Amino acid sequence: MSKTLMRFTGVGGQGVLLAGEIFAAAKIKTGGEGLKTATYTSQVRGGPTVVDIQLDDQEIYYPYANDGEIGFMLSVANVSYNSFKGGVQPGGIIVVDPNLVHPTDEDRKTWKIHEIPIITIAKEEVGNVITQSVVALAIANTMMNAIDKDVLVETMLSKVPAKVHDVNKKAYELGEKYAKEAMAK
Amino acid sequence: MATREVISTGNELAAIAAVDAGCKFFGGYPLTPSSEVMHVISDLLPKKGGVAIQMEDEIGGICCVIGAAMAGDRALTATSGPGMSLKAENLGLAQMAEVPLVCVNVMRGGPSTGLPTRVSQGDILQSKNPSHGDYKSITLCAGSLAECYTEVVRAFNIADRFMQPVIVLLDETIGHMHGKAELPSVEEVEAGIVPRKRFDGAPEDYFPYDCGPTEPAVLNPMFEGYRYHFTGLHHDKNGFPTEEIETCRKLIQRLEDKVEVHKDEVESYEEFMMDDAEIMIVAYGSVSLAAKESIRHLRKEGIKAGLFRPITIWPSPAEKIKEHTDKIEKVLVVELNIGQYHSEIQRAAARLDIEGLFKVNGRPISPYEIVNKVKEL
Repeated sequence: MSKTLMRFTGVGGQGVLLAGEIFAAAKIKTGGEGLKTATYTSQVRGGPTVVDIQLDDQEIYYPYANDGEIGFMLSVANVSYNSFKGGVQPGGIIVVDPNLVHPTDEDRKTWKIHEIPIITIAKEEVGNVITQSVVALAIANTMMNAIDKDVLVETMLSKVPAKVHDVNKKAYELGEKYAKEAMAK
Repeated sequence: MATREVISTGNELAAIAAVDAGCKFFGGYPLTPSSEVMHVISDLLPKKGGVAIQMEDEIGGICCVIGAAMAGDRALTATSGPGMSLKAENLGLAQMAEVPLVCVNVMRGGPSTGLPTRVSQGDILQSKNPSHGDYKSITLCAGSLAECYTEVVRAFNIADRFMQPVIVLLDETIGHMHGKAELPSVEEVEAGIVPRKRFDGAPEDYFPYDCGPTEPAVLNPMFEGYRYHFTGLHHDKNGFPTEEIETCRKLIQRLEDKVEVHKDEVESYEEFMMDDAEIMIVAYGSVSLAAKESIRHLRKEGIKAGLFRPITIWPSPAEKIKEHTDKIEKVLVVELNIGQYHSEIQRAAARLDIEGLFKVNGRPISPYEIVNKVKEL
């Protein structure tokens, strides 16, 4: 594997930062290089937030993903989707929550857009809205085949309290299931 | 040399570094994008017998750090540009009274409250002269996650050596980026600690400011029987205010010379692919990461570019810069301000044809922007 560039976008307070940290840490664990940067606004909650994740086998210098090189983007807020979709390379994968993000017809011609109700899955099927970042993590990894699943899940569990391990494992499995279904469509 | 691998952010590493370097006191006020320094050290210090306190404002933050340092502790404060503006007066007091402390400034867009969450390098000139009057500031600038750690450690040792504040500049990008850092072991850091000088003679023979013309004051910790006066006014060998002509002149000249004469002790820079470079890029902090990436691209196209990265920003490595600029015709300074260090490179090089690539909209400079600019030269 050479370089994987992923972008997670949402609004402040949704917890999109954590998924980036987990990816970077898991990649480093496997002996590679991983780097996460976040850009957010001075609104604590509600402002567009973007997290760039770079996974590479060689040393990463510039910490942001260059626009036009991003292979995967996941978005759970329309404002952020519109601000940051331009960074995704033509033909790249974009996953959106259809309840919150509304791609145009033009967008659907430019990118492979998958609609997965991430927030609803976290809230209703997992039972805890906070697990949306783990659902997102599973979707991204399943679609990009970026990191060995066992390493990623182990890293994720090391970053959440023990009492919520089961619920986060469930979130990961559900994310993986929905991603596979979306890809099969 | 034993190293350890840590996965963290720049701000967190700065806090860990302070604790490993023997810092026992943090005083400050949380300010984006530096707040995590305070969050992390507030957790770490009490476990090590230290104290972290959130003061009523930025001014209180630096004042209590000055107090802790006078009591003999290694002490840290952390802030961003607006906080530096508020701390300026007391940074001047610490320069004048010769109180060693470390101040981390995680730069964001300015002036004033500016762009709180966005990256900038607009505090370069401020860090050279935060307060009025003559003194020689020492400012270090981290250009990687590992340096957020190592430069804070170095700052504490320099502060105690020169008995003055040392500013460590991070920027929003480097403070918040999250990845791998190779760090020296705690044992190695502890072994490298050089405590400040102490006077061990009889208390009646103790004159803290009676030192050689190029040496710092020797301030024993307060409350240990060695009495002296502490003031921001011009002062005599005992610290008492004076307007005596020669005493005043010697004092201020010494504040300059104690650093100027020994600046080789603090000089630090990185040369990246400079051996055969025909184009010299000068960048520091997070911008140097974009510069390195751009050099990777340029070299693939056969363009021999190299990076000169000052790590000690003030005093600048002027002689080394001149050595390069005397040989290399094309020199480009890349920074997130409108040429604050560019003017220093012009001065050091004694050349007015130094090129610049600047940005001040709170967004980073991408490697491709640097590539394109280099090709235009």
